[in-house]
Formats: sequence, C-alpha cells, structure tokens
Amino acid sequence: MSPFTLRSPSSLDEIGGVPLAGGTDLVPLVQDGLVEASELANIRELLPRGIDGDRIGAGTSLAEIERSPDVPDALREACRLAASPQLRAMGTVGGNLRQATRCWYWRLGFPCYLHGGERCHARDGEHREHAIFGNERCASAHPSDPAAALLALRARVGTTRRTLPLTDLYRLPTDDDRDVVTLERGELILWIEVERPDASAYLKAMDRQRFSFPLVGVAAARFGADVRLALAGVAPIPWLLGSPAELGDAKPLPGTAYKVELADALVRRALDAVATG
Amino acid sequence: MLELQVNGGFYRLEAPDERTLAEALRDDLGLTGTKIACGEGHCGACTVMLDGTPVLSCITLVHTVGPREITTIEGLRDHPLVDAFVEADAVQCGFCTPGQIVSAAALMRANPQPSREEIRHALAGNLCRCGTYPKIEKAIYRGASQGSPASLLPQS
Amino acid sequence: MPRLLKTEREVEGRVEESWILVEEDALDQWPAGPLVTVGRPAARVDGRERARGEARYTADVRLPGMLHAAVVRSPHAYAVATRVDLERALAAPGVRAAIGPGDAPGLAAEAGHFGAPVAALAADTEAQARAALELVDVEWDVREPLLDPDEAVARGELHGKPRRHERGDVDAALAEADVVVEAEYRTQTLLHNALETHQAVCEWEGDRLTVYVSTQYIWEVRDQVADELGIPRDKVLVICRFMGGGFGAKNDPGDYTLVAAVLARRAGRPVRCALTRREENIGAGNRNATIQRLTAGARADGTLVALRGEYVCALGWDGWLPSTAGPMQMLYACENVETVEYGARLNTPPMAAFRAPGFVEGVWGLELLLDEVAAKLELDPLEVRMRNHADADPKDARPFSAKNLMECYRRAEPHWERRDDVRSRSDGPWRRGVGLATQIWFGSAAPPSYATVRLESSGRATVGTAMQDIGTGTRTAMAQIAAEELGFPLERVEVLVGDSSRGGYAVVSGGSSTTSTMGPAVRSAAADARRQLIEIAAQRFGVEEGILAVQDGKIVAAHGGSWPVEEVTRLLEHAQIVGKGACGPNPTGMRVLTFGVHVAEVAVDVETGEVRVERVYAVHDVGRIVNPLGASSQVEGGIIQGIGHTLSEQRLLDPSSGTVLTQTLDAYKLPTIADTPPEIVCEFVDRPDAHLTNLGSKGLGEPPIIPIAPAIANAIRDATGADVRSLPVTREEMLRALREAREREPVHTSQPV
Repeated sequence: MSPFTLRSPSSLDEIGGVPLAGGTDLVPLVQDGLVEASELANIRELLPRGIDGDRIGAGTSLAEIERSPDVPDALREACRLAASPQLRAMGTVGGNLRQATRCWYWRLGFPCYLHGGERCHARDGEHREHAIFGNERCASAHPSDPAAALLALRARVGTTRRTLPLTDLYRLPTDDDRDVVTLERGELILWIEVERPDASAYLKAMDRQRFSFPLVGVAAARFGADVRLALAGVAPIPWLLGSPAELGDAKPLPGTAYKVELADALVRRALDAVATG
Repeated sequence: MLELQVNGGFYRLEAPDERTLAEALRDDLGLTGTKIACGEGHCGACTVMLDGTPVLSCITLVHTVGPREITTIEGLRDHPLVDAFVEADAVQCGFCTPGQIVSAAALMRANPQPSREEIRHALAGNLCRCGTYPKIEKAIYRGASQGSPASLLPQS
Repeated sequence: MPRLLKTEREVEGRVEESWILVEEDALDQWPAGPLVTVGRPAARVDGRERARGEARYTADVRLPGMLHAAVVRSPHAYAVATRVDLERALAAPGVRAAIGPGDAPGLAAEAGHFGAPVAALAADTEAQARAALELVDVEWDVREPLLDPDEAVARGELHGKPRRHERGDVDAALAEADVVVEAEYRTQTLLHNALETHQAVCEWEGDRLTVYVSTQYIWEVRDQVADELGIPRDKVLVICRFMGGGFGAKNDPGDYTLVAAVLARRAGRPVRCALTRREENIGAGNRNATIQRLTAGARADGTLVALRGEYVCALGWDGWLPSTAGPMQMLYACENVETVEYGARLNTPPMAAFRAPGFVEGVWGLELLLDEVAAKLELDPLEVRMRNHADADPKDARPFSAKNLMECYRRAEPHWERRDDVRSRSDGPWRRGVGLATQIWFGSAAPPSYATVRLESSGRATVGTAMQDIGTGTRTAMAQIAAEELGFPLERVEVLVGDSSRGGYAVVSGGSSTTSTMGPAVRSAAADARRQLIEIAAQRFGVEEGILAVQDGKIVAAHGGSWPVEEVTRLLEHAQIVGKGACGPNPTGMRVLTFGVHVAEVAVDVETGEVRVERVYAVHDVGRIVNPLGASSQVEGGIIQGIGHTLSEQRLLDPSSGTVLTQTLDAYKLPTIADTPPEIVCEFVDRPDAHLTNLGSKGLGEPPIIPIAPAIANAIRDATGADVRSLPVTREEMLRALREAREREPVHTSQPV
C-alpha cells in the first residue's frame, strides 16, 4: 500500500482527495493500489445519516436499513442479504451504490478494458460470475444488491451538485470513459429518496446462503398496476429490466448462460411476490 | 498522537495514516487476541466491536475510530460466552474463535435471546475452516438461554 | 526392554515398511465402552486459552528486533528468471537482507507455476518489505504453459510412472455382465485455507536455530530444516504451541521457513515469513483436480463383476500421486479390477495433502458409479453396497484387523428409510431426496512415537511429547488417556506439546494417525509411571504391590485402605517419577482400515439450481472413541468442509495465463454457518480394534470428509433424477444436469440389458 494522508475535513465543501465513509470497499482498493489516492477525506461524520420518511441519508449503514421497518421490503431485504453483519454495520448505502465490481481480472489488476486496456479478459477467460447484459466491451457484473432494489423503487439521488434519477447515476463504460458512474470529480451522494410502492420484493441467488455477492439479484416493485424490475449481478451496472420479456435480449457468455435461466425464474417469483399485498 | 479507548482503558499511540485498527491492536497495543486471517474483510477473524457494533478491524483505518469504544476479545474474557464455547466444544483450531465470540457477544447485546435463524444470520460473517458451526450455534443458543440477559452484556 | 521391530505404516495411502525401536507394549487393551475418563465427553483442556484469545499462535510471535520477509513470486505460469538483480531492493528503506534463486531451498530461477518463489527479502516492517518487492529486477524468459491435464498425459508430462493395478480379467467379466455403466466424473482443485496462513519465525543464537512455525509435523520441520541448511538436527528447536489449522498442507517446513532461516542468518536478526491470504491461495498447496473415466459391470442382482478406472490427477508443478484408485481397489469385493492413475505435471501450483487426499476424489467417482449401477438395475443402493461387502481385502485377501461396515449399514438403515417421507415433503420447485455413500480410509498407527509422563510431589502428572495439536483436540485426548491409565482425575493432568524439546519423536498430525499413534505411547508412559507410583506406595505403606491400585487420584488397597496420591508423591520432594512409553507395532499381515456411511437429505430448487443439505446422518467405525465430544466435532467439521467442496468451493485459473483468479475469500467460497445443515446426527460404532495397539483407536480426522460429496450427489439424483458428475455442484452445474435429465425423459427407467 502506498502511503496516503488521511484528513478529517470539517465540512463537505472542503473535501480534497478521495472521500472515505464506511471504507469496506475503498480501504481494500487503496491497499491494493486499485484506487490511487494520495489523500483520503474521512467524511463519515459529515454525511447525512438516518431514515426520514422516504429519504435515506447516504451515510446510513446497510445494517440500519436492514433493521428499519420504514423502508420498502425490497430495499430492506437487499440490505439483509448483502455482505456480512460486520460489513453491513460499516458500509454506507451511498458507498454501496458506488462499489466496484468483483470481477477477478479487474480486482487482480489485469490491464483489462475497465482499467483502460484494450480488451475484456473475462470474455475469453473465467466468467461464471459475469454479465449477461451490456457486456460487449466489459463483462464485469455490478455487485450491489441495494442498487437493484433502489432502481426498482424509482429512487432519486441527491448529490452535492444536483438531483438525478438513480438510473442516470450509472453508465456503461465506453472507449472514452471507463467509469460506470456519472458523478463528477468531487461530487458526493448525499441522500437517496425512494417512492413508496404498493408492494416490493428482492430475491437473490448466490453461491452460499449468506456473505456472497449476487449471481443474480432481482428486485420488483409494484406501483399500482405498474411493476418495475431491476437486476443485480447481470451487467457492469445495476440493470433495469423493462419487462420480463427483455430477458430474451440477454447476450450471455458461454459461462453465464445459466444466469438467464436463473434470472427468468427469479423474475417470475418476484412478480408473483408483488402481485398482491 | 492518537488516543484509543479499548476495553475500558485509554491508550496513546503514534501511527501512520494507513495503519489499520487490527495492526494497531496487535502490534502497537499487544492485543493479539484479535486475529488477521485474510486482511481484506472477507473472513471475520479480526472482528471487534465499536460502540457495541461488530466491525472488521483489518479494513478499518485506526485514525477513523475516533472516540468510539473498542471492545476486543481481551475485553470479553470473562463473558459467559467463553465458557459456553468451551463447554459446547465450539473451539477447534481456535484461530477464528475470538472473532466468533465478539460477533456473538454483539448479537446478544442487541438480541439477548436470539433464535437459531438469527444466530446464523448474525454469525455468517465469521468463517471457520474447521467447520465448528453446529457447536458455535449451540454455544450461543445455550449461552443465551441460560444466562440472564444482563449478565451477558460486556462488562464495561 | 527396547525391541527392534519391523512394522508396516500406511500414511495417507502410502505404505512403507520400517524398523522401529519399541520400548514395550505389553498392556492389554481396556475393555470396550466408556471408562472413567476415556470414552466420556471432555471439554478441551486448552479451550479457554483459545477462546479468550490468550493462545499464542505463530502469527502472534513477535521477537525483539524481528524483521519481516516478503517473497518475489513469478507473475507467469512458466518462465525462467534469466537475471535477478537485488541491488535496488537492498538499498530500499528498512531492507536488511535479500536473497535470490539458489540462496535458499525453494527459491529457483525456473518458475513452474504462477506464484513460484524466486527471491525474498527482509525489512524492518512488513510494509517496507512489500514495497521493496517492486524493486527486485527480474528478467523473465517466458515459456508456453501446459495447463490441460489430459494433454499432459498425452505428452507424457507426468510425475513418476503411471500407477497400475490389475486383477482378474475385466474385459471378459464386462462381456458377461448383465449391466455395464460407463461415466466420466470430475473433481475440482480445492484450497485448504486454514485460517492461520503458512508462516514461520526463525531466530539464530550462535549455531542454534529456533523455528516458530505453524506446522502439523514438528519433527519433520526439525529434520528437514537442519538437513537443508547442513547443520546437525539437534541444533534446531521447533516450536508450535498453537496452530490455526493445516488440513494436510503443513506437513513440511515449506519454502517460507527456509527463507526465514536463511534471511535471519544473513541479517543477524530474527525473521518472520508469513504468507498473505492471497499467497496462501496461490502457492501453499491444493487438493488436485481429477478426471475419472470409470466403468462398472454387474450382474442383475447387483453383484459387481468388473471395475475399471482411469484417473488423471492434475498434480501441478510439484506433488505426489495420491491413491485415487484406492477405493475402487479396496472398498468392494470385486474380482476383476483394472485401474491406472496418472499424475499430470502442469504449470499450475503444486498439490499438497488435503484431508484424505485421493480417497475423497476416488470415493466420489466410485460411489456415484455404484448408484448409477443400482439405478439401472432398479435396485436399492444400500442393498447393492451390502451385497458387495468385502470380508477381506479384495486386493490381496489380507484379513481386516477389524471391520464393522455392515453394522454401519445396519445403523444407517432407519435414516435411509426416511426417503419416502423426505421425497413426499417435496414442495413446489423444491424437490427432496436422500442419498448415501460409504467411506474407506486408512486406520493404522504410524510408529514410532514416544511420550513421557512425569509425576511430581504435588501429585499432578505432566504428559510430554514433541507432537503438536493441529486443532483437533489432541491435548485433550492425550490428557484423557493419561488420566485413565494413571487413575487420576482429568484436571490433574497437564499435557505439554508443541515443542521439539518436549519429548522424543512424535508423529505427524496427519493421515488420521495422531490418536492411533500417540495414544498408545501416552498410555504406556502413564502405565510405567503408575507402576512406579505403586512400587513406592507399597514401600511407604508396607503392603504388597499386588493389592494396590490408583483410582480417582487415590491409592486404594484391595483390603479397603485408601490414601490420596499426594501422601506418596510428597515423599518425592524434588525427585520425580518419569514413565516412558512408545507406540507399538501395527498388527502383522492385516489391513487396518476405517469405514463409515453418510446419509444425506437434500432439497433442490429445480428452477434456480439451489441445493440445500438439510440433514446428514454419519456413522463411523474408527475403533475406540477417546472423546465423544471432540469426535463429534471432527465429524461435523468434515461434513461442513465437504459441503464446501461439494457446493461452492473451486480454485479457478485464467485459462490462458495460468493466473490463480480465486485468491481472495470472496471469490473462493468457504461455507458459512448459514450453509450448515440444520441437523447433523453423528454416531460411532465405538468398538476397539482388538489387534491394534494397546488402545484400539484409529484416527478420525479424515474419514468424515470422504463420503459427503457423493452422498449429496446421490441425494440430488434421488430428488430430481439429474446426474451431477462434476464438482462443485454450483447453480450452473445443477441447472445443466436438470436440463439434461429433462431432455432424457421420458426414458427415465432403463431395463437390465
């Protein structure tokens, strides 16, 4: 790990360097040199924290959301099934939306497309955990469970500079810009606002019963007659599914074809779960 | 100079900014009961409590701890869970055990009478390669049903 | 009177004959069943130290002036370092010593796998050492790696010669068989992931070397380190008071210990060399993958007439060929058997022993094959197993020293009979079923091994041996055995292990040989001490020795007198009674094995491929059980580790570069507490092997991991009709097997040919 300076700014306006809150993803990334940071800014105490009606402070931990009776089922369940108790106690929901992929090629520092290189190593390599949508250039999978739930819940995100729908927070990496989020340098997520659905659910398939990133996560939220579906673990970004039929447009790699079948089963179940209630 | 509150005592130390809490506890304060098994937040061996909440000390930068009270296994040595673990044979090689007990103590602090399902949910972040899980579940379940809730809180 | 004897030892399937020096083993075995201390549940004598975080592991050793080592590893699967320049690294802040290829055993210019160690350095802090790695300049001549095991066999890239076994006439028997089943089975590469990584701290004092090391085999470390460094063996002291697991991968010193020793000598300071978790998963050993092409022929009644197996074992750059065909050769009474095993030499990290190496893999293929035979014949799988029971070793007709497998089957029956009920609890997409599998593994002792028991004036006893407690509860079992023989309460017995100066040679904590080997040595040492105690008591109280015994810490006389042991030991003052003991030979001309049966109940979600193990019944025949509580933990642990092997664990390599991709524990998925079956029922036949040592106990560390994967896979077939033949049974494998089964329908039942 290259040494860095850790600062504790007194307000969010003064942040230089990389913002640090829960640190569950950032600290290992800095330790591995995957995030180059000469300066970290500890903003844990500065971020809005807590749940107020439909608004959730970005500094709220996943554990707090898991315990809250006030959040929609899909979000609570997505938090409950994410990571481990210790990580949920540390990790913030704002940070969770920004967490990096678990793609082993990216994590091990291969000069892959997402790192700015020429090609995606996963496409021709080992990719059982990888994407079935949006994977032409980079086949990494976005690991956030809460992000899929929040997409289904029509979440809006407030940053230090603007308010935007959560869908607009994410972008597929392009030749010009390999980032998967649209945040500008220094822009911070402050809060997330969800719409209250009539019913919602989150279903997750993983390699073990707990403490695993999603192979496929499916969130469904019903607003009146309209059901919104979003998926985790299937694309480089959380994936909004316009309709169940769109699963037919998936372009799986040889090793991820099973994820289409898995998503299909979970989507049907999620639709059943939100049909009533 | 950094000040830490650990197991009811105060410690002063100098540490570079990149120092983790686990390193500070083990190497600066000599509290080696907290183990490091993966060093990157994937196994739970380094679990300690911050203000009663279980966290991973190997990915917590020590300078971000602030005034929060740190509880390590050294602060739980007289916790009834220790005997419950030994009596149930919930200790094999023992390398994960301090972390397991810290997580279990945090669970019982929040939920003095956890169900088996709740135990499994709350301990899922502590890997045990020896596969001691059935005995760990039993130890916590018995420890919780036998001790009075108050006696199971960390002594601080 | 010491005797020189020849004995056979069989450690993890490797049989050797050796001369052993045995002091005496004239003790009769104790009667079967629970005794005063032995055979009764005991909490671990060192449980509190471990639970309270007081136990000092190698990872906790901090010596004054200690340096930290870091190892330069090959980024290529196959390459030769044509130049290694340490100059820049040596000039880096804090760096005190650096060594390159040839400077320490294990550091080589030819890097045969990703992560192979090439150079190493030591610095004041771990961070400085890791930072300096970047400054070691290495020029690589990169070669094309060989990664495919079948291709290695085709090209003759093998470790040793192919190992063949042939008996009878397989072709003729297959031609006459009523049914023939052929299938290919696969097992994956698995990583040990003991939570304490491989590590050592080495410190020189003059020409003496002290090695603190996380090891399963203190004596082997002592001997190998001394031999490699060219110093007398008695100049090396090896210490391992507590260790955080090994599972077979810590049977020798490893390059890290030798690197630490050489760096410590160069720097003149103690050096710690500890693998990171990632290094652990790259280079600390693995359970090798296998490809098994198997054939079985049977008569309509289920009698096996022929077995044939080709086993390709992907050993990697280094390693040895574990007996993967052993179960096919030894488990069932079949006259015509032909096996061949290849040890593929690949540019992948080397294998190391991993809890029943070879037999875990071999039983997987064999026990699935047997269920496929039963399915084709529409016979009950349990009945087929009982029908093919071997009454003597089918390889060479040797008698078994003891075999209670039929009793295991009988005890398993009520659990097996739950399957109609279990199946009927299928619910929506969740299909339920039951499967079983048999285990076979070696059970002999591995003499020599020595122990002492010392009685002091306090009336307490101390067992001394130079063995180690890998985490299985060895200290506790030894304390129980000594207490039983001495007639002392358990709490009056201290066991000192984990230090090569604490006794004579002691066996490896591996090959399930610890209790079977050290137990008899400790018992005979305790008997020697008790004899001396009684001799002294007889003089003290003026009675015949023959009427005295020791019970519950008291000397008792046949005529009714009773004195606390202290009344005698007090006389000793600083004098001490020292009893000596050794493990006696294995029975001559007999096959000493363990057996057992697992019955697994599973639920399979046929839409998502999720598999849950809901209940496991386990019964094992491992001779006398010393500590039923610790023994049940061993069985549960084996089952849970085996569930990881079955459902979630696999080491993956990048197929073009040979890089290990699953280096971290988010990618390599060990089971969690939530993956544990809600119910595990664990039983033992608990009958001493009358021919084996003065104890009649066999090891239990390895047996419980052997039959769990095939029991689960057979249950999956019972639940869904799908054949899983490849491990692990991840979502994709389960969904693939379900798809295949659907496509096969309605041809669901096949008739005998």
